[in-house]
Amino acid sequence: MSSFAPAVAPRPRPLRLQQRLAFAPAALVVAALTLFVSLPLYSMVATAFKTDKEIYDDFSYIPRQPTLIQFERVIVGDRFFVNIQNSVIVATTTTVVSVTMSVLAAFAVVRLRFYGRVWIARLILFKYLLPTTLIYIPLFLVVNGLGLANTLQSLIFTYLSFSIPFATWLLMGYFRGIPAELEEQAMIDGCSRIGAMLRVLLPIAAPGVVAAAIFTFTGAWNEFLLALVFINRPALQTVPVKLSSMIVGDQYVWGSIMAGAILASLPVVVLYFLAQRFVVSGLAAGAVKG
Amino acid sequence: MATYSHGVSAPIGRRPAARSRRPFLQREGVLGWLLLSPVLLVMLVLVVWPFSTAIWMSFTDKSIGREANWVGLANFSQVLSSPRFGRAIQNSLVFTVVAIFLKFVLGMAMALVLNKAFFGRNFLRAYLLVPWVLPGFVAYMIWRWFLDPLQGVLNYALTDIGLITLPLEFLSSPASAMPSVILAHVWRSFPFFGVAFLAGLQNIPAEQYEAAAVDGANGWQKFLFITIPGLRHVILVVLMLATIWTFNAFEPVYLLTGGGPADSTLVYTVLAYEMGIVNMRLGEASAVPVMILPLLGMFIVALSGLMNRDE
Repeated sequence: MSSFAPAVAPRPRPLRLQQRLAFAPAALVVAALTLFVSLPLYSMVATAFKTDKEIYDDFSYIPRQPTLIQFERVIVGDRFFVNIQNSVIVATTTTVVSVTMSVLAAFAVVRLRFYGRVWIARLILFKYLLPTTLIYIPLFLVVNGLGLANTLQSLIFTYLSFSIPFATWLLMGYFRGIPAELEEQAMIDGCSRIGAMLRVLLPIAAPGVVAAAIFTFTGAWNEFLLALVFINRPALQTVPVKLSSMIVGDQYVWGSIMAGAILASLPVVVLYFLAQRFVVSGLAAGAVKG
Repeated sequence: MATYSHGVSAPIGRRPAARSRRPFLQREGVLGWLLLSPVLLVMLVLVVWPFSTAIWMSFTDKSIGREANWVGLANFSQVLSSPRFGRAIQNSLVFTVVAIFLKFVLGMAMALVLNKAFFGRNFLRAYLLVPWVLPGFVAYMIWRWFLDPLQGVLNYALTDIGLITLPLEFLSSPASAMPSVILAHVWRSFPFFGVAFLAGLQNIPAEQYEAAAVDGANGWQKFLFITIPGLRHVILVVLMLATIWTFNAFEPVYLLTGGGPADSTLVYTVLAYEMGIVNMRLGEASAVPVMILPLLGMFIVALSGLMNRDE
């Protein structure tokens, strides 16, 4: 069954001669990249487990008395779970709505022959490539016009503007890779068109649907600009805006910000590593290959 | 076959056979538009409406909470003649070109080394991806703290190695602010180049390298004449995608410097945010995307042609 899914790239064959010649520079590059990636990450983790005294007065590279006080401060003092809850509501709803709509749309564009489908496919790709920075000011007026200002609904609604084109585009790539004959067989056996999609196409395309869901969730979880513009009540802020609004002047907040940053990253990082296989093949099918 | 297949494998452009004999809802056109209707409705409300609003608004003096009056091209001349706009476009271009160059170099290095087999490669492939997997705002908050002149780890480390004696004001001095913002942005996004190139490398048949080795090619020649041509399509798509994303990035500058000091990092997205949201002059702020869009639009059309190639 999995043979219909876009192939995960095969293991590369080692090139013995070149490998030996190029070993030293390659090791150097690996070391340099690892160091470059690690230093800022380490700074975040170390700071989150330090006391304020160790952060501001008495610097040490390794926390001398590792503590959870910063996590406690951000969760209790800054009521961070309220914002996490907002983000979970927004990201989950966006994901469910856009993946459902996108499955139907991608199926229609890839499998049905009707006038205008090629134009629709182009329009979807065009919108996927169009950055949100170009439309957020008018989107703001749309949101106000619909009376949605300062609600989580405004975020869910406007996030569809980027999540649907992306998910549809990605799923179109997946569906194209699955032979239509299987659905035809099911229809000969008495399935309806939609029945064949639900019972034959979707199970085979499950990895693609998972990838689309992960990307959509992550995109909504990370979204910053719209959340910054549409929401100004602290209790309704999502995680990104809440965290960035904690930087005020020179108050001693970096410990809790770094603890909050770890909490904000955990869901998406865990998602990626659990589903790395889907993500990489999804990236190949959606973003790069076409 | 045609009577059973419902046109599933019909070539593009062919009218579905026996159209009139089929129940209304099972006609491909009807079903197709029905399935597409939710997405089309969303696109209409969230793309077409805002765009028409933006274009209309750019000819008015609309500000938040006030009625709009037609002002013709006043916004455009106002924006174009403002020295800050010129500065912002210049900064956006510098940011884009330098960042993409660095992302390309680091991404290519990452892909080439990870394409070799060595102990720990799978772990490293996942680990080097972490900056890109992290939410963008987290990445920039990390860097803002990492580069902090007083308590940032980088300044402590540079001092302890003996490279500097006084802490460097990475983000708060006009000379180093832009390089610092670029560095943070490259950290965050070079892994995307890395994975994309790696996927491309793994599609180049090893036989080509073996044949080249038999012909006596050295490593550099193999890179130049096999690797680069083999990656041509991936490189082109990734560079164009990244150009669109990088040119329109808002978070790196907003979260690291807010455009300062002395406008040294002011990019056009942050300027539009200031005009529209902070100063509430929506008409003027709408003129900015209306001017950017035609150029970006051509770019996007070219890119979508490339990405559609194997359709």
